[in-house]
Amino acid sequence: MKVRTRTTHRARVAAVLVAAGIALTAAMWSHGQVGLAVATGVFYAVAATVSFLWAGGSGDVAAIMRAEGDERQRAIDVEATAVTGLVLIVAIVVGGVVELFRTGSMGQYGLMGALAGTTYAVSLAVLRRRR
Amino acid sequence: MKNRVSELRLVRGMTQGELGEALGVSRQTVNSMENGRYLPSLPLAFALGRFFDLPIEQLFEPDEEDVG
Repeated sequence: MKVRTRTTHRARVAAVLVAAGIALTAAMWSHGQVGLAVATGVFYAVAATVSFLWAGGSGDVAAIMRAEGDERQRAIDVEATAVTGLVLIVAIVVGGVVELFRTGSMGQYGLMGALAGTTYAVSLAVLRRRR
Repeated sequence: MKNRVSELRLVRGMTQGELGEALGVSRQTVNSMENGRYLPSLPLAFALGRFFDLPIEQLFEPDEEDVG
């Protein structure tokens, strides 16, 4: 039962990468960027294969990729997710300021920043009630 | 915070993987606990206590800064 769960999650992660690869490849191909489309397709196929194989291992990263880590591995996953979020928010703010100076509008960066800020505020409100 | 997990495990002749399996955690987590890099949650600390048949106070020894 446990083994089936592990395999299922590994397969799902790989399937998401394959689906994303197919979508991006099709989008690029339809715009005439054949070379880039093929390179993207190959990249995602390799990423899906590596992800599937790596997630079958016994290390911390493999357990996290299978979404079945113990308390320490889940904490590592949460911290890594938080760091990723912080880096993305900094990139959005910097990108937004640069875009504002270039065009007079923050454009998509403004929307992304608003989404990030709202998500953080809602998360704070929800999580503080749980703990 | 120091702990006696490594010492007690070795007394029982167990590997980190075997202890991890008994506690439902990974070998890497047992290793991190033993080396003081990871402070286990209360449920895991109680599980350790039950496993070694010792109260938590005899498993973990807080540093001065841990107790304020």
